[in-house]
Amino acid sequence: MRCVEPWVAGPLQAFLDESSARVTLLMTSSGQVIAQDGFTRSVDVMAAAALGAAIVASTDAIAQLTGAGRYGAVLHQGTAQGLYLAPFDTRRGRWIGLVVFGPETSAGLVQLFFRDLAQALAAAEPEARPGGVLLAENFERELNASLRSLFGR
Amino acid sequence: MSLVNFAAREITCKIVYYGPGRSGKTTNLQYVFGRVPEARRGRMVSLATQGDRTLFFDFLPIELGTISGFQTRFQLYTVPGQSYYNATRKLVLQGADGVVFVADSQARRFDDNVESLQNLHENLLAQGVDVRTLPLVYQYNKQDLPADLVMTRAELDDALNFRGVPSFGADALHGSGVFETLKGISELVLRRLAAGGTAA
Repeated sequence: MRCVEPWVAGPLQAFLDESSARVTLLMTSSGQVIAQDGFTRSVDVMAAAALGAAIVASTDAIAQLTGAGRYGAVLHQGTAQGLYLAPFDTRRGRWIGLVVFGPETSAGLVQLFFRDLAQALAAAEPEARPGGVLLAENFERELNASLRSLFGR
Repeated sequence: MSLVNFAAREITCKIVYYGPGRSGKTTNLQYVFGRVPEARRGRMVSLATQGDRTLFFDFLPIELGTISGFQTRFQLYTVPGQSYYNATRKLVLQGADGVVFVADSQARRFDDNVESLQNLHENLLAQGVDVRTLPLVYQYNKQDLPADLVMTRAELDDALNFRGVPSFGADALHGSGVFETLKGISELVLRRLAAGGTAA
């Protein structure tokens, strides 16, 4: 498991233990990864986050167009595994959970424990964000060197 | 908004390539994808129509490396340029840390550039984003076409770049200007972050 913010780890671990999810991803509504478990390569996580956020955003947009307000979750039940995608509100904005699960659990259990996860995150969320010095004044030199190596220049 | 992990010392930023249809937004990402070593980029996700026109977005995550002790990642997105896809453009624009406006340098596409730029401003405004503070660069693509077909960089600057933001001439198909554009927007986004701009 990897978490951007340490306080997410406890509630997420409890969810993983209870739900038997194969892959779990928490992200912001703009597709930034908050935490993940089950992915093997970090870049695949980012693609999944971008697509998951897009599904929720487009589902919201369709709900507004059709006067449905807002849908609670998206569920795809496949033959080998299912996908559960659900937004929830936090003090830091809207977050989204993406859960891939197999026949060792069920959509109902995933949904149940995901609701618990959202509540546990709300309870664990600290008021203040950690801060600190972010980038040195001369970061441009390092940025240029990184981009040049990236493009083989 | 940028996501900063102080514990793991990681920064993730979202860059959106915006502009009229067929101006070369996807071509920019394809060039970056083809040029960057596999270990430092993810898979490129393209949600496109059968005719390869962008339907929802293209997405390419790249690892810039360590900057000021932070492992820095950029997520590059494109929007669909065709005017009737505005609903999806709005969704992709959400949470952008910086925008590259890819204009088509062909004189006959000038009105499309203006329309798309106005659309960008409208969509940012609708999301409560102050256009004057969002990192933005212009890329004038297709500068390789015959001179009688295209507007020069100076002419396009005069006509479109009234805020005087950084601008770059480009031939994205062959890679000219793609690196410079990415470097330009990266600097602006990170400079804003360093100055205490947005971090989720």
